[in-house]
Amino acid sequence: MITVEDLHKSFGDHEVLKGISNTINEKEVVCVIGPSGSGKSTFLRCLNLLEEVTSGSITIDGVEITDRKTDVPKVRAQVGMVFQHFNLFPHKTVLENITLGPIKVLNQSKEEAEKTARELLKKVGLADKESVYPASLSGGQKQRVAISRALAMNPKVMLFDEPTSALDPELVGEVLAVMKDLAKSGMTMVVVTHEMGFAREVGDRVIFIDQGVIMEEGDPQEMFNDPKSERLQSFLGQIL
Amino acid sequence: MEVVIIEFFESIRFDILWNYRSLFIHGIWITLGLTVVGYTCGIILGLLFGLGKMSNKKWIHYPSRWYIDFFRGTPLLVQILLIHIAVIPTIFGQSLGFFVSGALALSLNCGAYTAEIIRAGIQSLDKGQMEAARSLGMPHNMAMKHIILPQALRRMVPPLGNELIALLKDSSLVTVIAATDILYAAKIVQGATFRVWEPYILAAIMYLFLTYIVTKIVAYVEKRFSTSYVPSKRPKIFSLSRTFTGGR
Repeated sequence: MITVEDLHKSFGDHEVLKGISNTINEKEVVCVIGPSGSGKSTFLRCLNLLEEVTSGSITIDGVEITDRKTDVPKVRAQVGMVFQHFNLFPHKTVLENITLGPIKVLNQSKEEAEKTARELLKKVGLADKESVYPASLSGGQKQRVAISRALAMNPKVMLFDEPTSALDPELVGEVLAVMKDLAKSGMTMVVVTHEMGFAREVGDRVIFIDQGVIMEEGDPQEMFNDPKSERLQSFLGQIL
Repeated sequence: MEVVIIEFFESIRFDILWNYRSLFIHGIWITLGLTVVGYTCGIILGLLFGLGKMSNKKWIHYPSRWYIDFFRGTPLLVQILLIHIAVIPTIFGQSLGFFVSGALALSLNCGAYTAEIIRAGIQSLDKGQMEAARSLGMPHNMAMKHIILPQALRRMVPPLGNELIALLKDSSLVTVIAATDILYAAKIVQGATFRVWEPYILAAIMYLFLTYIVTKIVAYVEKRFSTSYVPSKRPKIFSLSRTFTGGR
């Protein structure tokens, strides 16, 4: 479904991604792990073109999105993104946050968009919060709204950029539970995370990125129990 | 000493000004007119050049920057004289009157300051807002309109209010091109009556009165903008009634 070939990304002279190739299949949940500064977030942001790639190609559903001629907003509309810091729109209510994209970008009617939004809010357990502003929500609630907002666009794939890293420890569970449900429903997901428990339990595959290259990848159980590269061994040693 | 002070106060006679009241009233209208026109055009110019300065396109970025740097870096008095005496007569062959020159100078000056306020307001927003809007598939202009500008506007309200008050006071500079504003009325009265205290005190009081009103308006607008940001009582009641009917 997503094919990445020899992806390079530089910020000025600093090369962050040094040739990443990978294929992500439909309905697969891929967890990306690695030390900070390794380029894992940059890799994720390249997948919906929030970062312009320096060289290499990314193909989603047979469409090469790195082609200069592609309609970038259209690509982004098909790829859901959840951010570490939620990035909800503070001047819109929860419901408006979710319906804005479908109404403005997908040209849905207000009623249609609100119906979908209410269903999504019910699914993430926030049906009673539709009229409040994000400022009065907890971090976990904000992130669940952010997930609903991305899902309202009916994306082909969901990208998560450290979705629980900015949360208080006791709020991590509620967000991970929503993500687990999503994985069960058959959504293709790419998750940059430090939650090894989540990667082990939900992930179909784990990719370990270090210094801009994929050092190791494979089945989560195997990788965590029997890391092959020295880098992964020391990384796991530090965080587990 | 006491005698001198008492004599001084006894010599102040505001009743002299009564005969010249129409001059001052006319002055208020001119001052207000120049301020309103200057501010309105200034905000439009500021929006254009503020966005222009943030543009990645060089042919938009540099002219915007030059405009802002010139009008912020030179005195308004010089700009007024330059426009009234040099620019307009050269282009049109004749003066178009003090109001056109004055309004133009104030607009251009206000536009430069507003541009910086607008740029700062937009750039003070978290980058994540633009990214979130873009990740939903919004093109740049749509994201600006629905996400960035409404939020930035809230942050711009206090400095824009300051700018309005500053502009109101700075409009007194147009008196050098014989614009018949409040200060000019005071000058005329001084010349006619040979009184120095009364006309200028009255002019000062008039400006004070006008800025006081503007301050009140700005404070009201600020309040209105901030209550819609923090959840207020109104949306809460709204939410209750809506979940109630939704629950049935």
